Amino acid sequence: MSAPAAERSLFAGLLAGICDEMLETLVRTAYSPNIKERRDCSTALFDGRGRLVAQAAAIPVHLGAMPMSVATVLQAVHDLRRGDVIVLNDPFRGGTHLPDITMVSPVFASEPGTPFAFLATRAHHADVGGFSPGSMGLSREIYQEGLRIPPVRLIEEGRPARDVWEIVLANVRTPDERRGDLRAQVAAHETGAARIQEAIRSYGPIALGERTEDLLDYAERLMRAVVRGIPDGDYTFEDQLDGDGFHDAPVPICVRISVTGEEAVVDFTGSAPECEGGINAVEAVTRSAVYYAFLCLLATLREGDSAPPREPPLNAGCFRPIRVVVPAASVVNAGPPCAVAGGNVETSQRIVDVVLGALAGALPEVVSAASQGTMNNLTVGGLDPRTVSPWAFYETIAGGTGAGPSWDGADGVHSHMTNTWNTPIEAVELAYPLRVERYEIRRGTGGLGKWRGGNGIRRDIRVLADARGALLADRRTSRPYGLQGGACGEPGEDRLLREGREIALASKTVLDLRAGDVISVRTPGGGGWGPAGGV
Amino acid sequence: MGVRIGADTGGTFTDFVLVHPDGVRSWKAPSTPDDFSCAVLEGVSWLLGQTGHVAGTELVHASTVATNALLERRGAKTALVTTRGFKDVLAIGRQARPDLYDLRIVRPDPLVPEPLRLEVEERVSAEGEVLVPLASTEIEAALDRARNSGAESIAVCLLFSFLHPDHERAIGERARARGLACSLSSVIAPEFREYERTSTTVANAFVAPVVERYVRRLSEGASEAGIDRVRIVQSNGGSLDARSAAERAVQTILSGPAAGVLGAREVARRALGAADPIITFDMGGTSTDASLQEGRVLRTTTGTAIGGVPIQIPVVDIHTVGAGGGSIARLDAGGALAVGPESAGADPGPACYGRGEDPTVTDANVVLGRIDPGRFLGGRMTLDPGRAEGALARLAAMMKVPVQEAARSVVRVVNGRMEHAVRVVSVRRGHDPRAFTLVSFGGAGGLHACALAEALGMTRVLVPRDPGVLSAWGAVACDVVRDYSRTVLRRGSGRPGPSDFLAVYDELHRLAEREMMEEGFVQGGVVATRVADLRYVSQSYELSVPFDDDREALAGAFHAAHERRYGHCDPGEPVEIVTLRLRVAGPVERPEPEPVRGTADAAGATLARSGDHRIVDREALRAGARLEGPALLVEPYATTHLAAGWRARVDAWGHLHLER
Repeated sequence: MSAPAAERSLFAGLLAGICDEMLETLVRTAYSPNIKERRDCSTALFDGRGRLVAQAAAIPVHLGAMPMSVATVLQAVHDLRRGDVIVLNDPFRGGTHLPDITMVSPVFASEPGTPFAFLATRAHHADVGGFSPGSMGLSREIYQEGLRIPPVRLIEEGRPARDVWEIVLANVRTPDERRGDLRAQVAAHETGAARIQEAIRSYGPIALGERTEDLLDYAERLMRAVVRGIPDGDYTFEDQLDGDGFHDAPVPICVRISVTGEEAVVDFTGSAPECEGGINAVEAVTRSAVYYAFLCLLATLREGDSAPPREPPLNAGCFRPIRVVVPAASVVNAGPPCAVAGGNVETSQRIVDVVLGALAGALPEVVSAASQGTMNNLTVGGLDPRTVSPWAFYETIAGGTGAGPSWDGADGVHSHMTNTWNTPIEAVELAYPLRVERYEIRRGTGGLGKWRGGNGIRRDIRVLADARGALLADRRTSRPYGLQGGACGEPGEDRLLREGREIALASKTVLDLRAGDVISVRTPGGGGWGPAGGV
Repeated sequence: MGVRIGADTGGTFTDFVLVHPDGVRSWKAPSTPDDFSCAVLEGVSWLLGQTGHVAGTELVHASTVATNALLERRGAKTALVTTRGFKDVLAIGRQARPDLYDLRIVRPDPLVPEPLRLEVEERVSAEGEVLVPLASTEIEAALDRARNSGAESIAVCLLFSFLHPDHERAIGERARARGLACSLSSVIAPEFREYERTSTTVANAFVAPVVERYVRRLSEGASEAGIDRVRIVQSNGGSLDARSAAERAVQTILSGPAAGVLGAREVARRALGAADPIITFDMGGTSTDASLQEGRVLRTTTGTAIGGVPIQIPVVDIHTVGAGGGSIARLDAGGALAVGPESAGADPGPACYGRGEDPTVTDANVVLGRIDPGRFLGGRMTLDPGRAEGALARLAAMMKVPVQEAARSVVRVVNGRMEHAVRVVSVRRGHDPRAFTLVSFGGAGGLHACALAEALGMTRVLVPRDPGVLSAWGAVACDVVRDYSRTVLRRGSGRPGPSDFLAVYDELHRLAEREMMEEGFVQGGVVATRVADLRYVSQSYELSVPFDDDREALAGAFHAAHERRYGHCDPGEPVEIVTLRLRVAGPVERPEPEPVRGTADAAGATLARSGDHRIVDREALRAGARLEGPALLVEPYATTHLAAGWRARVDAWGHLHLER
C-alpha cells in the first residue's frame, strides 16, 4: 500500500478506465453514423446511492443530466434485479430531449441486496419519431417531438423485454438502425458490469465504498479551491437567444452568481418564461451548463505549489460547493408539455455564455470571450428512392471559439456543451442521398481584438431526393460577445439554394426540400479579447 | 547467410546488432541528433572493423527521421491539392477539441498552411462515377501556384479517389513531369474518410523529402563502407529497400517501436516457443509501448496518430502512454499524485542527472535502491543520489509521508499507467492477460516488470538478453513486407460482388509481384495473405478477418470475430465488405542467437547486498542459473528488479525467465 495521494490517483484512473471502455464498446458496435462517427454519446458510473462517481469525457451536456436519470430510476423503478437495464428519454423524468436515450443498470455486490452501483449510457439517436425526420424539428409541444419513454425495463434479468422493444421500434423512422444502436448501449452496460464485478472482487465492497467517498471528497476540495479563488461578491450577466422559432422576440437569459468563501449560488431568476418553440431547457440541462463552466475554471487552478488536476474529476463531489437556482416554468427550467429539443443544444450554449460572462467580471484574466454559442443542428430525412427505405441524417456544425487573455480562438471547432465529431463527407454520401458541396472556414468572421476570435464554417449540402429538413440554430441576430474591448464575432447565416436562387432561412425552421436543393449553413465566429491594435 | 547489421536510432543512443556466421555482436553509441545517419554509419564501420567483415553485408535500420520531422514540424514545404470546396478539410479535421474542459483550445497547426491548400474543379460520386471531369487547365493552374509559392512537395487528396483514382493520377503525372515530388491519396491510403486520408497523404508529402535525403546519405555512406543493401523497418513490421521506403516515407513513422515488437517476438519464439502468446512492454524515458502478439502473424491495426496527425496505414498494433523513466511526479491541488505525461526528457533529465529539479520515476527508483548510481548506462554516467533524494523529499513533504513512501507511491502510480496501457491492448481487445507472458525491454522496463505483471495477474515475465538493444535485433529479423489495400464499398446498385473482389485482388497481386521483384524476391518466394475489413451494413467501424471468396464463410468469420471483440454478434444481420487488404511478405533468414557467455551461479555472480536485495551481475550468470527475489540484476544498459516472491532462471541464450 502506498500513500493515499497515490491510491486516489490510481482509483480515479480505474473508474475512468471503466467508463472509457464502456464508451469504446458503444461507439464501436453502434450502427448510426451519429454515434459511431460523431460520438454523440456518454457513459458514467454511479454509486449505490445514485451519486455520480466517474464519467467518460465525451459530451459536457450529458454531465449534469445523467445524475437526474439515475435519481429517477431509483425513485420510479422498484425491485431492481441483476441483469435489468432501464431505458428512458422523458425530459421531465430524467431525460433532456427526446433523441437522447439513456439506459441505467444496477450492479450488485452480493445477492440478494440493494444495488452496489449503477451504470449509465446516453446516446443521441438519429430519429425517435415525431413530426420531422431526425426529431429535432421546431415543435410547440413535446407530443410533436417524438416518442416519450418513461423509465421502463428494456432488458429484464438479462432477457430483452420484447413488448418494450416493439413499441419503441414501431414509433421511429429507422427501426433497424435504432435496434442496432440500442443493442450497442446494452453491450456497453455488459462491458461495464463485468469491469465493476472485477473491481469488487479485487478491492472488496467495503474498501471500494471508502475509496469512492475519498474520491468525492477530493473533487469537492478541488472545486472549493476554485471558488475560493473567485473574489467574494455578486456577478451578473445577461444575454439572449434570437427567438424561439415562432416569435422573433429575443429570449433573455440572466444570471447572478453570488460567491461567499468557498461556495457559489448561481441564480437564473429573471430569465424568460417557457417559450412556445422548442428551445426550453429542463433543469438537468441548466445544471450541466453551470457545472461545465466551473470545471473549465479548474484547468486554470493554481494554489501555492500545487497544480490543477491532470484530468478533471467528473463526479458529484465537484458540484457540492455550487448551488443552482432555477425559476419554475422558465426557459431554464421547463415543465411538461413544453417542447424541448433545442434546450439541450442551443439554450445550453447560451447558459454557458451567461455564466462565463458573469465569471469574467470576477476573473477578467482567466475567462475567454464567447464562442459560437450554437450547435447548428441540421436534420434531413425522407425516403431513399434507390433503396426505397426511410433515412434520417443528423449533424451539428462547428464554429469559431472565443479568444482568451493570451490566445486566439480556434477556427471550425465545437465549443462548450458539445464535442461531437463531424460525419466524414464520404461516409455521408455512402450512406444517404446527399452530396456535400462545400466545407470550409468562413474567414473574417472571428471578432477582432488583441487576440482574435476563431472563424465559423460554411457547409453546403445538396439533397439528391425530395426530403424534409430542419434547421435549429442561433446567434443569427445576436453576436458572440467579445471581452475586455475585443469585438463580437460575426453572426451565422443560412441559405437555401434552389434553381439558381438564394433564399434566406430563419435560424429555426422546417423545410420541404426538392431534389437538387442545397442547404448552406454558415456558422458564427467567436468573440475577440482585448482591444485591437493595442499593446 | 551473409552478414547483417541491425541499427535502431533512439533519442540518446543508437543500438546495433551484427549477425555473422560465427556469432553475434551488439554495440551502443551516442546518437547524433544533427544527423542521425552519422552515428549509424560510424557504428557500422566500427562493427565491421571489429569483426573483419566487409562484403555481402546488409544493413536493416529502424529510423526516427520521419517521426522527428513530423513531431518537430521540420518537413518539406508542402502544398495540398483538393476537390473544389474542400481545402479546409485538413484544418477542420473532425471538428472536435482535444480537452473538453479547457477554454484555451490547442490544436496542432495543419501541416499545410492555408495559402498552400489549392483546389481543382472536379468531382467523383459515392458510386465512383465522374460528376465533374478534371480539366488539364485546372491541373496546370494548381501546379503553377504550388511552384510559385515555393512548395517542395505536393499532396493530392480528392473525394472518392479510392473508387476512381484517375484524377489524382493525372495530377501526379503532370507534377512529376515538372519535377515536383508528389504523394497521391489513392496510392498512400486508398481508403474512405477524407480527413484521415488527407492527413496521411499530407504527412507523407511532408516527410518524404526529408526521409529521401536521409536515406540517400545513409545509402551512400553505407555503400562506401562496403554494405550492399540498406533496408528500412516499416510501421507494419516489415522492411523495404531504402529507395522504396523513401517513396512511402510515412510508412516508417513507427519504425523503431515496430522493430521492438519484432525483436520481442523473435526472442519469444525461441525462448518460449512459437505458440506462446506475449504482451510486449517497452518502457523508455518519456513513453511506454505495449503490444499484444500471438500466433504466427504479426498483429497490426489500420491507423495511428503521431503528434495529433492521424496516419491511416497498417501499423503494428501498439498502444503508447506518456509515462516513462523521465516522467515528472506532482501533487495536484486536491491531493492526488500524478505521474507524467510531462517528462524531464534527456535535458534537464531526472533530478539525479544533476540539472533537473522535478522528481521523476528514475529518481524514485534511485531512492528505492533499484538503480545503482555508479553503474548507470554502463558507467557512462554517474547519478547523484542526493539530488534524487532531495527532489523526492520535497514531494514527500507536500504529501506528508516519509521519503521512501513517496518514492514507492511514484512507482505505484506510474505502474498504474503501464497497467492501463496493457489493459488497452489485452482486455479491451477481448484477451485475458493472465494467459500471456510479459516480455519486458527498454531501459526502464525491467525495473517495473514484476509489479506490472502482478497487477495484471500475470505469472510469467521474459527479460531478453541485452534488452537495451532488442529493437536492433528486431530489425535484423525483419521480413520484407508490403501492404496493399482498396476500399471497395460504394453506394447503390454499384455494390461490388465476389467477382469484383477477385478482380481487385488480381490487380493488387500484379502490383505486389512487380514491387517485390524490385525488392529482390521472385514469384513463389513470397507469402501472400488476404484480409478483408467487414462490418454490419451501416456500422462504421470494421473488423479484419481472413478473406474467403465464399461469402458464407467470410460472414461466419466476421460474426465470430465480433463476438470475441464485443461479446455479441448478430448472425441474422447482413454484412458488408469495406476494404480488401493484401500483405505480401518476403521471408528473411532468421538470425541465430549465441549461447550465453556467463559461467557463474547466483552466488558467484553476486556483487553486493543492499538492504534485503542482493545485487547480481547478470552477464556473469551461466545457463541454468537460478535465483530468488528480492534481487537486482544489473547489466550495462538495463536493470531488472526481481521482486520478492519471484524466481528467475537463465536459459541457454541468456534470456531471463521470471516466474511466481
